[in-house]
Amino acid sequence: MVTEILQLLLNGAMAGTILAVPAIGLTVIFAVLRFANFAVASHATIGAFAGYVANVSFGLPVLPAIVVAFLVAGLVGLATDELILKPFRAAGFITTAIGSIALTIGLENVVRFAFGNDLRGYDLPLMRDWRFAGLRVGPQQVENLAIALAAMAAIFAFLAFTRAGKAMRAVADNPTLAGIKGINDKTIARTVSFVGMGLAGLGGMLLGLDTTIDPLTGFRAILSIFAAAVVGGLGSVPGAVVGALVIGIGEEMSLVILSPNYRSAVGFLAILAVLTIRPRGILGQRAY
Amino acid sequence: MGFLNVPMGFLKVTDVVAGYTAADEILKGLDFALDAGEIVCVIGPNGAGKSTLLKTIAGLITPSRGAITFKDHSLVGLPPRDITRLGVAYVPQEHNVFPSMSVTENLEIGGYIAPARVPERMGEVLARFPVLAGKRRHAARTLSGGERQILAMAMALMVEPELLLLDEPSAGLAPAAAERLFEEVRAVNRDRVAIVLVEQNASEALAVADRAYILVDGRTSRSGEARALASDPEIRRIFLGG
Repeated sequence: MVTEILQLLLNGAMAGTILAVPAIGLTVIFAVLRFANFAVASHATIGAFAGYVANVSFGLPVLPAIVVAFLVAGLVGLATDELILKPFRAAGFITTAIGSIALTIGLENVVRFAFGNDLRGYDLPLMRDWRFAGLRVGPQQVENLAIALAAMAAIFAFLAFTRAGKAMRAVADNPTLAGIKGINDKTIARTVSFVGMGLAGLGGMLLGLDTTIDPLTGFRAILSIFAAAVVGGLGSVPGAVVGALVIGIGEEMSLVILSPNYRSAVGFLAILAVLTIRPRGILGQRAY
Repeated sequence: MGFLNVPMGFLKVTDVVAGYTAADEILKGLDFALDAGEIVCVIGPNGAGKSTLLKTIAGLITPSRGAITFKDHSLVGLPPRDITRLGVAYVPQEHNVFPSMSVTENLEIGGYIAPARVPERMGEVLARFPVLAGKRRHAARTLSGGERQILAMAMALMVEPELLLLDEPSAGLAPAAAERLFEEVRAVNRDRVAIVLVEQNASEALAVADRAYILVDGRTSRSGEARALASDPEIRRIFLGG
Protein backbone atom coordinates (compact mmCIF):
# COMPACT_ATOMS: atom_id res chain seq x y z
CA MET A 1 0.00 0.00 0.00
CA VAL A 2 2.81 2.39 0.91
CA THR A 3 4.57 1.66 -2.38
CA GLU A 4 1.31 2.21 -4.26
CA ILE A 5 0.80 5.59 -2.60
CA LEU A 6 4.42 6.57 -3.24
CA GLN A 7 3.95 5.58 -6.90
CA LEU A 8 0.82 7.76 -7.11
CA LEU A 9 2.68 10.64 -5.46
CA LEU A 10 5.54 10.31 -7.94
CA ASN A 11 3.14 10.12 -10.90
CA GLY A 12 1.20 13.08 -9.54
CA ALA A 13 4.32 15.20 -9.04
CA MET A 14 5.43 14.50 -12.62
CA ALA A 15 1.94 15.13 -14.04
CA GLY A 16 1.72 18.34 -11.99
CA THR A 17 5.09 19.58 -13.25
CA ILE A 18 3.95 19.11 -16.85
CA LEU A 19 0.55 20.69 -16.08
CA ALA A 20 2.40 23.70 -14.65
CA VAL A 21 3.68 24.70 -18.10
CA PRO A 22 0.30 25.53 -19.73
CA ALA A 23 -0.97 26.78 -16.34
CA ILE A 24 1.87 29.36 -16.33
CA GLY A 25 0.79 30.29 -19.87
CA LEU A 26 -2.78 30.89 -18.70
CA THR A 27 -1.71 32.81 -15.61
CA VAL A 28 0.79 35.17 -17.33
CA ILE A 29 -1.87 36.10 -19.88
CA PHE A 30 -4.32 36.75 -17.03
CA ALA A 31 -1.73 38.79 -15.09
CA VAL A 32 -1.16 41.18 -17.99
CA LEU A 33 -4.38 41.17 -20.03
CA ARG A 34 -6.74 40.56 -17.10
CA PHE A 35 -8.94 37.87 -18.59
CA ALA A 36 -8.96 34.07 -18.39
CA ASN A 37 -7.98 33.02 -21.89
CA PHE A 38 -9.59 29.61 -22.37
CA ALA A 39 -8.07 29.46 -25.85
CA VAL A 40 -5.07 28.01 -23.99
CA ALA A 41 -6.88 24.70 -24.67
CA SER A 42 -6.78 24.96 -28.46
CA HIS A 43 -3.23 26.34 -28.41
CA ALA A 44 -2.16 23.31 -26.38
CA THR A 45 -3.69 21.17 -29.13
CA ILE A 46 -2.02 23.24 -31.86
CA GLY A 47 1.34 22.87 -30.10
CA ALA A 48 0.80 19.13 -29.74
CA PHE A 49 0.06 18.81 -33.49
CA ALA A 50 2.86 21.16 -34.55
CA GLY A 51 5.25 19.02 -32.50
CA TYR A 52 3.70 15.90 -34.05
CA VAL A 53 4.33 17.21 -37.59
CA ALA A 54 7.91 18.13 -36.68
CA ASN A 55 8.52 14.80 -34.96
CA VAL A 56 6.64 12.33 -37.19
CA SER A 57 6.49 14.03 -40.59
CA PHE A 58 9.89 15.71 -40.52
CA GLY A 59 11.64 13.21 -38.26
CA LEU A 60 12.89 15.73 -35.70
CA PRO A 61 13.80 14.43 -32.25
CA VAL A 62 11.63 15.43 -29.29
CA LEU A 63 13.68 18.44 -28.17
CA PRO A 64 13.63 20.36 -31.49
CA ALA A 65 9.99 19.31 -31.98
CA ILE A 66 9.15 20.86 -28.59
CA VAL A 67 10.71 24.12 -29.78
CA VAL A 68 8.53 23.95 -32.92
CA ALA A 69 5.46 23.33 -30.70
CA PHE A 70 6.31 26.44 -28.64
CA LEU A 71 6.96 28.66 -31.66
CA VAL A 72 3.91 27.60 -33.69
CA ALA A 73 1.50 27.87 -30.75
CA GLY A 74 3.08 31.20 -29.76
CA LEU A 75 2.72 32.64 -33.25
CA VAL A 76 -0.87 31.41 -33.57
CA GLY A 77 -1.55 32.89 -30.11
CA LEU A 78 -0.08 36.22 -31.18
CA ALA A 79 -2.19 36.26 -34.36
CA THR A 80 -5.45 35.15 -32.73
CA ASP A 81 -5.09 37.67 -29.90
CA GLU A 82 -4.33 40.48 -32.31
CA LEU A 83 -7.06 39.63 -34.81
CA ILE A 84 -9.82 38.03 -32.74
CA LEU A 85 -9.57 38.65 -28.99
CA LYS A 86 -8.21 42.22 -28.93
CA PRO A 87 -11.45 43.75 -30.26
CA PHE A 88 -13.35 41.97 -27.43
CA ARG A 89 -11.22 43.54 -24.69
CA ALA A 90 -13.04 46.90 -24.78
CA ALA A 91 -16.25 45.03 -23.89
CA GLY A 92 -14.77 43.72 -20.63
CA PHE A 93 -13.05 40.64 -19.28
CA ILE A 94 -16.13 38.38 -19.19
CA THR A 95 -16.94 39.04 -22.86
CA THR A 96 -13.30 38.44 -23.78
CA ALA A 97 -13.18 35.19 -21.79
CA ILE A 98 -16.36 34.00 -23.55
CA GLY A 99 -14.82 35.06 -26.87
CA SER A 100 -11.79 32.91 -26.01
CA ILE A 101 -14.09 29.86 -25.53
CA ALA A 102 -15.56 30.47 -29.00
CA LEU A 103 -12.03 30.86 -30.37
CA THR A 104 -10.87 27.61 -28.80
CA ILE A 105 -13.80 25.68 -30.32
CA GLY A 106 -13.08 27.23 -33.72
CA LEU A 107 -9.36 26.42 -33.61
CA GLU A 108 -9.98 22.84 -32.47
CA ASN A 109 -12.22 22.35 -35.47
CA VAL A 110 -9.52 23.74 -37.75
CA VAL A 111 -7.17 21.09 -36.31
CA ARG A 112 -9.88 18.43 -36.76
CA PHE A 113 -10.38 19.52 -40.39
CA ALA A 114 -6.66 19.28 -41.06
CA PHE A 115 -5.80 16.09 -39.15
CA GLY A 116 -9.09 14.24 -38.56
CA ASN A 117 -10.25 12.71 -35.28
CA ASP A 118 -7.76 9.84 -35.09
CA LEU A 119 -5.56 9.37 -32.07
CA ARG A 120 -1.92 9.95 -32.98
CA GLY A 121 1.28 9.12 -31.18
CA TYR A 122 4.74 10.63 -31.40
CA ASP A 123 7.63 8.72 -32.88
CA LEU A 124 9.38 7.74 -29.67
CA PRO A 125 11.91 4.98 -29.08
CA LEU A 126 10.55 2.09 -27.02
CA MET A 127 12.31 1.97 -23.68
CA ARG A 128 11.90 -0.18 -20.63
CA ASP A 129 10.66 1.57 -17.43
CA TRP A 130 13.21 2.18 -14.73
CA ARG A 131 12.54 0.59 -11.36
CA PHE A 132 13.83 1.64 -7.97
CA ALA A 133 12.60 0.88 -4.44
CA GLY A 134 9.55 -0.80 -5.89
CA LEU A 135 8.62 2.35 -7.90
CA ARG A 136 8.37 2.52 -11.67
CA VAL A 137 9.17 5.48 -13.94
CA GLY A 138 9.48 5.70 -17.72
CA PRO A 139 12.56 7.34 -19.30
CA GLN A 140 10.21 9.43 -21.47
CA GLN A 141 8.40 10.64 -18.33
CA VAL A 142 11.74 11.74 -16.90
CA GLU A 143 12.62 13.53 -20.14
CA ASN A 144 9.21 15.26 -20.11
CA LEU A 145 9.80 16.27 -16.50
CA ALA A 146 13.21 17.69 -17.40
CA ILE A 147 11.75 19.63 -20.34
CA ALA A 148 8.95 21.02 -18.14
CA LEU A 149 11.45 22.06 -15.46
CA ALA A 150 13.72 23.67 -18.08
CA ALA A 151 10.74 25.56 -19.56
CA MET A 152 9.76 26.79 -16.10
CA ALA A 153 13.33 27.83 -15.30
CA ALA A 154 13.46 29.71 -18.61
CA ILE A 155 10.21 31.57 -17.95
CA PHE A 156 11.33 32.46 -14.41
CA ALA A 157 14.68 33.71 -15.76
CA PHE A 158 12.87 35.67 -18.49
CA LEU A 159 10.63 37.38 -15.91
CA ALA A 160 13.43 37.99 -13.40
CA PHE A 161 16.33 39.08 -15.57
CA THR A 162 15.20 40.44 -18.94
CA ARG A 163 13.97 43.93 -19.72
CA ALA A 164 10.87 42.53 -21.47
CA GLY A 165 10.13 40.20 -18.54
CA LYS A 166 10.41 42.99 -15.98
CA ALA A 167 8.25 45.24 -18.15
CA MET A 168 5.67 42.44 -18.29
CA ARG A 169 5.67 42.18 -14.48
CA ALA A 170 5.38 45.95 -14.19
CA VAL A 171 2.29 45.96 -16.44
CA ALA A 172 0.84 43.08 -14.41
CA ASP A 173 1.45 45.05 -11.19
CA ASN A 174 0.26 48.49 -12.27
CA PRO A 175 -0.59 49.07 -15.95
CA THR A 176 -1.21 52.82 -15.60
CA LEU A 177 2.11 53.47 -13.89
CA ALA A 178 3.87 51.21 -16.41
CA GLY A 179 2.48 53.40 -19.21
CA ILE A 180 3.70 56.56 -17.47
CA LYS A 181 7.17 55.02 -17.20
CA GLY A 182 7.25 54.47 -20.95
CA ILE A 183 6.29 50.81 -21.28
CA ASN A 184 4.27 50.20 -24.42
CA ASP A 185 1.27 48.14 -23.33
CA LYS A 186 0.61 46.94 -26.89
CA THR A 187 4.10 45.46 -27.18
CA ILE A 188 3.71 43.78 -23.79
CA ALA A 189 0.29 42.38 -24.78
CA ARG A 190 1.85 40.86 -27.90
CA THR A 191 4.81 39.47 -25.96
CA VAL A 192 2.58 37.88 -23.32
CA SER A 193 0.27 36.38 -25.96
CA PHE A 194 3.26 34.81 -27.72
CA VAL A 195 4.94 33.53 -24.56
CA GLY A 196 1.71 32.41 -22.85
CA MET A 197 0.34 30.52 -25.84
CA GLY A 198 3.82 29.18 -26.64
CA LEU A 199 3.88 27.64 -23.16
CA ALA A 200 0.38 26.25 -23.75
CA GLY A 201 1.64 24.63 -26.98
CA LEU A 202 4.72 23.26 -25.27
CA GLY A 203 2.53 21.89 -22.48
CA GLY A 204 0.17 20.35 -25.05
CA MET A 205 3.03 18.43 -26.61
CA LEU A 206 4.30 17.30 -23.20
CA LEU A 207 0.81 15.98 -22.38
CA GLY A 208 0.77 14.20 -25.74
CA LEU A 209 4.20 12.64 -25.25
CA ASP A 210 2.83 10.85 -22.22
CA THR A 211 -0.19 9.42 -24.07
CA THR A 212 -1.59 10.26 -27.53
CA ILE A 213 -2.96 13.37 -29.18
CA ASP A 214 -6.21 14.23 -30.94
CA PRO A 215 -8.10 17.51 -31.56
CA LEU A 216 -9.49 17.43 -28.00
CA THR A 217 -6.09 17.08 -26.27
CA GLY A 218 -6.20 20.65 -24.97
CA PHE A 219 -9.92 20.65 -24.26
CA ARG A 220 -9.60 17.64 -21.96
CA ALA A 221 -6.77 19.31 -20.05
CA ILE A 222 -8.24 22.80 -19.72
CA LEU A 223 -10.15 22.11 -16.49
CA SER A 224 -6.97 20.90 -14.78
CA ILE A 225 -4.98 23.81 -16.26
CA PHE A 226 -7.56 26.35 -15.14
CA ALA A 227 -7.85 24.71 -11.71
CA ALA A 228 -4.05 24.80 -11.29
CA ALA A 229 -3.92 28.53 -12.12
CA VAL A 230 -6.90 29.40 -9.89
CA VAL A 231 -5.83 27.25 -6.94
CA GLY A 232 -2.31 28.75 -7.00
CA GLY A 233 -3.65 32.29 -7.42
CA LEU A 234 -4.73 33.41 -10.90
CA GLY A 235 -2.05 35.81 -12.12
CA SER A 236 0.77 34.34 -10.03
CA VAL A 237 3.49 32.36 -11.86
CA PRO A 238 4.82 30.54 -8.76
CA GLY A 239 1.18 30.03 -7.82
CA ALA A 240 0.54 28.22 -11.11
CA VAL A 241 3.40 25.83 -10.31
CA VAL A 242 2.12 25.19 -6.78
CA GLY A 243 -1.46 24.85 -8.04
CA ALA A 244 -0.40 22.42 -10.79
CA LEU A 245 1.37 20.23 -8.23
CA VAL A 246 -1.72 20.28 -6.00
CA ILE A 247 -3.96 19.30 -8.93
CA GLY A 248 -1.52 16.76 -10.38
CA ILE A 249 -0.96 14.99 -7.06
CA GLY A 250 -4.63 15.37 -6.08
CA GLU A 251 -5.82 13.76 -9.32
CA GLU A 252 -3.45 10.82 -8.88
CA MET A 253 -4.16 10.37 -5.17
CA SER A 254 -7.91 10.38 -5.85
CA LEU A 255 -7.35 7.00 -7.52
CA VAL A 256 -6.82 5.49 -4.05
CA ILE A 257 -10.48 5.99 -3.22
CA LEU A 258 -12.21 6.85 -6.49
CA SER A 259 -12.66 5.33 -9.92
CA PRO A 260 -10.54 7.04 -12.64
CA ASN A 261 -13.84 8.31 -14.10
CA TYR A 262 -14.08 10.80 -11.22
CA ARG A 263 -10.54 12.07 -11.60
CA SER A 264 -11.59 15.30 -13.34
CA ALA A 265 -13.75 16.19 -10.31
CA VAL A 266 -10.54 16.81 -8.35
CA GLY A 267 -9.99 20.12 -10.18
CA PHE A 268 -13.45 21.37 -9.24
CA LEU A 269 -13.11 20.20 -5.65
CA ALA A 270 -9.67 21.81 -5.34
CA ILE A 271 -11.02 25.14 -6.64
CA LEU A 272 -13.92 24.97 -4.18
CA ALA A 273 -11.77 23.95 -1.23
CA VAL A 274 -8.89 26.39 -1.74
CA LEU A 275 -11.00 29.39 -2.69
CA THR A 276 -13.26 28.89 0.32
CA ILE A 277 -10.23 29.20 2.60
CA ARG A 278 -8.08 31.55 0.47
CA PRO A 279 -10.21 33.46 -2.08
CA ARG A 280 -7.08 34.72 -3.89
CA GLY A 281 -5.53 31.27 -4.20
CA ILE A 282 -2.60 29.73 -2.35
CA LEU A 283 -0.01 32.36 -3.32
CA GLY A 284 -2.31 35.30 -4.02
CA GLN A 285 -2.28 37.19 -7.30
CA ARG A 286 1.21 38.60 -7.55
CA ALA A 287 2.61 38.06 -11.01
CA TYR A 288 5.95 36.83 -9.78
CA MET B 1 9.85 85.87 -14.97
CA GLY B 2 8.04 87.26 -17.96
CA PHE B 3 5.65 90.12 -18.52
CA LEU B 4 3.39 90.94 -15.51
CA ASN B 5 5.30 88.47 -13.30
CA VAL B 6 3.99 85.49 -15.28
CA PRO B 7 6.75 82.91 -15.85
CA MET B 8 7.28 82.23 -19.52
CA GLY B 9 8.41 79.38 -21.66
CA PHE B 10 9.01 76.46 -19.28
CA LEU B 11 5.59 75.04 -18.36
CA LYS B 12 2.54 76.95 -19.40
CA VAL B 13 -1.08 75.86 -19.01
CA THR B 14 -3.51 78.19 -20.75
CA ASP B 15 -7.30 78.18 -20.47
CA VAL B 16 -7.45 74.42 -19.95
CA VAL B 17 -10.79 72.66 -19.67
CA ALA B 18 -10.49 68.98 -18.70
CA GLY B 19 -12.20 66.16 -16.85
CA TYR B 20 -12.45 62.40 -16.70
CA THR B 21 -15.14 62.24 -19.41
CA ALA B 22 -16.03 64.53 -22.31
CA ALA B 23 -18.99 65.96 -20.39
CA ASP B 24 -17.07 66.28 -17.14
CA GLU B 25 -15.39 69.67 -16.55
CA ILE B 26 -13.19 69.60 -13.48
CA LEU B 27 -10.72 72.18 -14.78
CA LYS B 28 -12.79 75.09 -16.08
CA GLY B 29 -10.41 77.31 -17.98
CA LEU B 30 -7.34 77.02 -15.78
CA ASP B 31 -4.20 79.09 -16.28
CA PHE B 32 -0.97 77.99 -14.67
CA ALA B 33 2.72 78.61 -15.29
CA LEU B 34 6.05 77.57 -13.86
CA ASP B 35 9.63 78.67 -14.46
CA ALA B 36 12.68 76.41 -14.67
CA GLY B 37 13.98 75.46 -11.22
CA GLU B 38 10.93 76.66 -9.29
CA ILE B 39 8.84 74.83 -6.74
CA VAL B 40 5.23 75.79 -7.18
CA CYS B 41 2.63 74.32 -4.89
CA VAL B 42 -1.03 73.91 -5.72
CA ILE B 43 -3.45 73.91 -2.82
CA GLY B 44 -7.21 74.05 -2.55
CA PRO B 45 -10.25 72.22 -1.25
CA ASN B 46 -11.12 68.65 -2.26
CA GLY B 47 -12.51 68.51 -5.79
CA ALA B 48 -10.87 71.78 -6.83
CA GLY B 49 -8.99 70.02 -9.64
CA LYS B 50 -5.47 69.85 -8.16
CA SER B 51 -4.79 66.21 -9.07
CA THR B 52 -6.65 66.62 -12.36
CA LEU B 53 -4.23 69.43 -13.26
CA LEU B 54 -1.23 67.12 -12.79
CA LYS B 55 -2.87 64.24 -14.67
CA THR B 56 -3.67 66.58 -17.54
CA ILE B 57 -0.09 67.84 -17.74
CA ALA B 58 1.19 64.24 -17.54
CA GLY B 59 -1.02 63.15 -20.44
CA LEU B 60 -3.36 60.86 -18.51
CA ILE B 61 -6.27 63.21 -19.26
CA THR B 62 -6.65 64.99 -22.60
CA PRO B 63 -8.06 68.50 -22.23
CA SER B 64 -11.13 69.36 -24.27
CA ARG B 65 -9.90 72.94 -24.60
CA GLY B 66 -6.78 74.98 -23.98
CA ALA B 67 -3.03 74.62 -24.42
CA ILE B 68 -0.25 73.04 -22.39
CA THR B 69 3.34 73.68 -23.44
CA PHE B 70 6.61 72.51 -21.92
CA LYS B 71 9.70 74.27 -23.27
CA ASP B 72 7.61 75.26 -26.30
CA HIS B 73 6.52 71.67 -27.01
CA SER B 74 2.76 71.17 -26.94
CA LEU B 75 1.87 68.34 -24.55
CA VAL B 76 -1.80 68.11 -25.56
CA GLY B 77 -2.59 64.74 -27.11
CA LEU B 78 0.82 63.20 -26.36
CA PRO B 79 0.80 59.81 -24.59
CA PRO B 80 2.29 59.84 -21.07
CA ARG B 81 5.49 58.05 -22.16
CA ASP B 82 6.25 60.77 -24.75
CA ILE B 83 5.69 63.45 -22.11
CA THR B 84 8.10 61.57 -19.81
CA ARG B 85 10.65 61.52 -22.67
CA LEU B 86 10.40 65.32 -22.92
CA GLY B 87 11.57 65.59 -19.29
CA VAL B 88 8.31 65.72 -17.32
CA ALA B 89 8.05 63.03 -14.63
CA TYR B 90 4.76 62.44 -12.85
CA VAL B 91 4.44 60.78 -9.44
CA PRO B 92 0.83 59.75 -8.71
CA GLN B 93 -0.59 60.06 -5.21
CA GLU B 94 -1.40 56.35 -4.89
CA HIS B 95 -0.32 53.18 -6.64
CA ASN B 96 2.93 54.91 -7.52
CA VAL B 97 5.28 51.92 -7.20
CA PHE B 98 5.23 48.33 -8.48
CA PRO B 99 4.49 46.48 -5.21
CA SER B 100 5.69 42.99 -6.12
CA MET B 101 8.97 44.23 -7.62
CA SER B 102 12.12 45.00 -5.65
CA VAL B 103 13.39 48.54 -5.03
CA THR B 104 16.10 47.99 -7.67
CA GLU B 105 13.59 46.69 -10.21
CA ASN B 106 11.29 49.63 -9.53
CA LEU B 107 14.17 51.98 -10.24
CA GLU B 108 15.01 50.08 -13.44
CA ILE B 109 11.43 50.49 -14.64
CA GLY B 110 11.64 54.14 -13.58
CA GLY B 111 14.47 54.51 -16.10
CA TYR B 112 12.80 52.33 -18.74
CA ILE B 113 12.88 54.98 -21.47
CA ALA B 114 16.65 55.50 -21.04
CA PRO B 115 18.04 51.99 -20.47
CA ALA B 116 21.65 52.90 -21.27
CA ARG B 117 21.70 55.39 -18.39
CA VAL B 118 20.09 53.07 -15.83
CA PRO B 119 23.25 51.64 -14.17
CA GLU B 120 24.79 55.08 -13.65
CA ARG B 121 21.53 56.72 -12.56
CA MET B 122 20.77 53.83 -10.21
CA GLY B 123 24.02 54.55 -8.35
CA GLU B 124 23.30 58.29 -8.19
CA VAL B 125 19.71 57.85 -7.06
CA LEU B 126 20.59 55.28 -4.39
CA ALA B 127 23.34 57.59 -3.14
CA ARG B 128 20.77 60.39 -2.85
CA PHE B 129 18.28 58.19 -0.99
CA PRO B 130 20.27 55.97 1.42
CA VAL B 131 17.03 54.63 2.92
CA LEU B 132 16.43 52.89 -0.42
CA ALA B 133 20.03 51.73 -0.80
CA GLY B 134 19.65 49.70 2.39
CA LYS B 135 16.53 48.01 1.06
CA ARG B 136 17.37 47.56 -2.59
CA ARG B 137 16.35 43.88 -2.64
CA HIS B 138 13.14 44.40 -0.66
CA ALA B 139 9.80 44.21 -2.47
CA ALA B 140 8.21 47.66 -2.67
CA ARG B 141 5.11 46.38 -0.86
CA THR B 142 7.21 45.80 2.26
CA LEU B 143 8.34 49.46 2.52
CA SER B 144 6.76 51.94 4.91
CA GLY B 145 4.49 54.65 3.51
CA GLY B 146 7.24 57.25 3.62
CA GLU B 147 9.80 54.95 2.02
CA ARG B 148 7.32 54.10 -0.70
CA GLN B 149 6.80 57.80 -1.50
CA ILE B 150 10.56 58.29 -1.62
CA LEU B 151 10.85 55.28 -3.96
CA ALA B 152 8.15 56.77 -6.19
CA MET B 153 10.09 60.04 -6.35
CA ALA B 154 13.37 58.19 -6.93
CA MET B 155 11.79 56.26 -9.83
CA ALA B 156 10.76 59.56 -11.40
CA LEU B 157 14.32 60.92 -10.99
CA MET B 158 15.78 57.95 -12.90
CA VAL B 159 15.05 59.76 -16.18
CA GLU B 160 16.72 63.02 -15.00
CA PRO B 161 13.55 65.08 -15.43
CA GLU B 162 13.55 68.85 -15.62
CA LEU B 163 10.06 68.96 -14.16
CA LEU B 164 8.64 66.76 -11.42
CA LEU B 165 4.89 66.58 -10.82
CA LEU B 166 4.21 65.39 -7.25
CA ASP B 167 0.62 64.55 -6.32
CA GLU B 168 0.09 64.78 -2.56
CA PRO B 169 3.31 62.98 -1.61
CA SER B 170 2.68 63.46 2.13
CA ALA B 171 -0.84 61.99 2.09
CA GLY B 172 -1.21 59.37 4.80
CA LEU B 173 2.28 59.89 6.24
CA ALA B 174 3.09 60.48 9.90
CA PRO B 175 4.30 64.07 10.54
CA ALA B 176 7.95 63.00 10.95
CA ALA B 177 7.87 61.01 7.68
CA ALA B 178 6.16 63.92 5.90
CA GLU B 179 8.86 66.30 7.19
CA ARG B 180 11.61 64.00 5.85
CA LEU B 181 9.81 63.81 2.54
CA PHE B 182 9.61 67.60 2.20
CA GLU B 183 13.34 67.78 2.97
CA GLU B 184 13.92 65.40 0.07
CA VAL B 185 11.71 67.57 -2.16
CA ARG B 186 13.88 70.59 -1.31
CA ALA B 187 17.04 68.58 -1.98
CA VAL B 188 15.78 67.44 -5.38
CA ASN B 189 14.90 71.01 -6.27
CA ARG B 190 18.43 72.16 -5.39
CA ASP B 191 19.53 70.11 -8.43
CA ARG B 192 17.50 72.51 -10.58
CA VAL B 193 14.56 70.17 -10.98
CA ALA B 194 11.39 72.26 -11.15
CA ILE B 195 8.54 70.85 -9.07
CA VAL B 196 4.78 71.20 -9.13
CA LEU B 197 3.63 70.07 -5.70
CA VAL B 198 -0.04 69.34 -5.13
CA GLU B 199 -0.70 69.13 -1.40
CA GLN B 200 -3.42 68.98 1.22
CA ASN B 201 -0.79 69.87 3.80
CA ALA B 202 -0.94 73.58 2.91
CA SER B 203 1.41 74.92 5.60
CA GLU B 204 4.25 72.53 4.64
CA ALA B 205 3.65 73.08 0.94
CA LEU B 206 3.74 76.87 1.28
CA ALA B 207 6.90 76.59 3.39
CA VAL B 208 8.65 74.56 0.68
CA ALA B 209 7.39 76.39 -2.41
CA ASP B 210 8.59 79.53 -4.18
CA ARG B 211 5.14 80.33 -5.49
CA ALA B 212 1.66 78.93 -4.98
CA TYR B 213 -1.64 78.62 -6.75
CA ILE B 214 -4.90 78.26 -4.90
CA LEU B 215 -7.47 76.36 -6.93
CA VAL B 216 -11.19 76.58 -6.28
CA ASP B 217 -13.74 74.81 -8.48
CA GLY B 218 -11.37 74.22 -11.36
CA ARG B 219 -10.03 77.75 -11.61
CA THR B 220 -7.17 79.72 -10.08
CA SER B 221 -8.57 81.63 -7.14
CA ARG B 222 -5.29 83.18 -5.98
CA SER B 223 -1.63 82.91 -6.95
CA GLY B 224 1.60 84.55 -5.91
CA GLU B 225 4.71 84.24 -3.78
CA ALA B 226 4.27 81.34 -1.36
CA ARG B 227 5.58 83.36 1.58
CA ALA B 228 3.09 86.19 0.92
CA LEU B 229 0.18 83.78 0.59
CA ALA B 230 1.20 81.98 3.78
CA SER B 231 0.92 85.25 5.70
CA ASP B 232 -2.36 86.31 4.08
CA PRO B 233 -5.04 86.33 6.82
CA GLU B 234 -7.74 84.84 4.56
CA ILE B 235 -5.49 82.04 3.36
CA ARG B 236 -4.38 81.37 6.92
CA ARG B 237 -8.00 81.16 8.06
CA ILE B 238 -9.14 78.82 5.27
CA PHE B 239 -6.13 76.59 4.72
CA LEU B 240 -3.80 76.94 7.68
CA GLY B 241 -6.24 76.69 10.54
CA GLY B 242 -6.03 80.28 11.70
